[in-house]
Amino acid sequence: MLHLRLLTVLLLPASMAMAQEDLGAIFGKDSVRRDPVTATFKSTRIINGQSNETLAKRDLDFRVAHRFGDIGGSGGGSSTFFGLDNSTDIRIAFEYGITDKLTAGVSRAKGSGNFSQMWEVLGKYKLLQQTHDNRIPVGVTLFANAVVSSMKSSPDKEDVYYFDKFSDRAGYVAQAVIARKFGNAVSLALTPSFVHRNRVGYKDMNNMFALGVGGRLRFSNRVALVADYFYAFRDEESKDYYAARGTDFYNSLGVGVEIETGGHVFHLNFTNATAVLENQFIPETTSTWRNGQFRWGFNISRRFSLGGR
Amino acid sequence: MKRIFIFIALIGLSASVAGQDVLSCRSVSLRFFSSAPLEDIEAKTSQGVSAINTASRAIYFKVPITSFRFKKKLMQEHFNENYLESDKYPYAEFKGNILGDSDLTKDGTYAVETEGVLQIHGVSKTYRVPGTITISGGKTTVEAKFNVRVADHKIKIPSLVVRNIAEVVEVTMTAEYLPAVKK
Repeated sequence: MLHLRLLTVLLLPASMAMAQEDLGAIFGKDSVRRDPVTATFKSTRIINGQSNETLAKRDLDFRVAHRFGDIGGSGGGSSTFFGLDNSTDIRIAFEYGITDKLTAGVSRAKGSGNFSQMWEVLGKYKLLQQTHDNRIPVGVTLFANAVVSSMKSSPDKEDVYYFDKFSDRAGYVAQAVIARKFGNAVSLALTPSFVHRNRVGYKDMNNMFALGVGGRLRFSNRVALVADYFYAFRDEESKDYYAARGTDFYNSLGVGVEIETGGHVFHLNFTNATAVLENQFIPETTSTWRNGQFRWGFNISRRFSLGGR
Repeated sequence: MKRIFIFIALIGLSASVAGQDVLSCRSVSLRFFSSAPLEDIEAKTSQGVSAINTASRAIYFKVPITSFRFKKKLMQEHFNENYLESDKYPYAEFKGNILGDSDLTKDGTYAVETEGVLQIHGVSKTYRVPGTITISGGKTTVEAKFNVRVADHKIKIPSLVVRNIAEVVEVTMTAEYLPAVKK
């Protein structure tokens, strides 16, 4: 009988304490989070390439990207203040969130490659969003643009910038950005890309595929390391033809630091690509990290929320 | 043998009492508001959960941080990513007791105080919050308003945005309770 009393003494308060303390238990375990993963990247660009991010509805993104001249090599060094005296490309853009999933934009870029004086219209659509419960393991965003050069046509028909008709000035890019955020510090993106240029030089390629990889490593809530690389599938015949004439093509590699302060995102980066537009830096990069032909650059994004009240 | 009966009866009684006395709400409305020189910040959710044990007077709240909706999406992103770090600390939780001796089984409106521990951003702090409990026809409504000092929960505000974000945030909550369904 003693042990029964002991049981009573032990069990009764326990069952009462349960009722008091564990009220949260009636809601069951923490429900699995079905909601989408946000902020895989902080901005719509990783460095050169697109991220999977789009703008929120009625957000306006004012973007300025700048690439300076070669830091080293024949075009760099102290005489050009390590490239800062020159700018190879400048892009100024307005991008706008029509819905949370659809972004449209216009831009003007100086252009660096076959053409200059570039005008761009772009669209970006968030097709899939990664979810916390991994029911959708990756986010997929589609990107496309159309670019037209307004530069003066060469009088020489042999020149790549001889424009017989308006369409010669145009080029297009289509991409799918497949991205995943691992925990809250690491994000990766894989970007199959297709570049079409209506007019290219002899033995160059009108249609070119490329594969981009990019990533973001978060150091703190506001500072991250970012990098991206695009491998362009240029065929051997084209490579050999141009190599024989002293031009080598390279894949673009950018590394940088991303700093976020309120509505601003700054990218301070180094890249061998001279151009900012996908239409040019994927197929037309002819400078290489090895010869000091990399440059200081920055991307600035300023977002304005035009919605709200 | 008699004692065994009493024992079983007591256990059974205590369990059934606990079941009947628990009220729950799965759609607690929470709103927070802060006013800083440059910007007012407001966010709302109705995805909080809460339970009250009217016998023991224990009270419980829990709300997913990511469920707060802001008018500006960018603000919502910053709230989750930079300030509340909702990946690391997905919930805010309150465990406390209703003070005083008001009879929470009779209809009426009672001004009460609750005391308990509120955990936000992984940091716990004891709060004493005044509120109103209204009981009418089997439905219990709780309303409360209180201030949270962001520094108390180690939520860092960089000096650059100190004019955009207030140090003290006003939280308003409303919850309607029904007897909890036993699981």
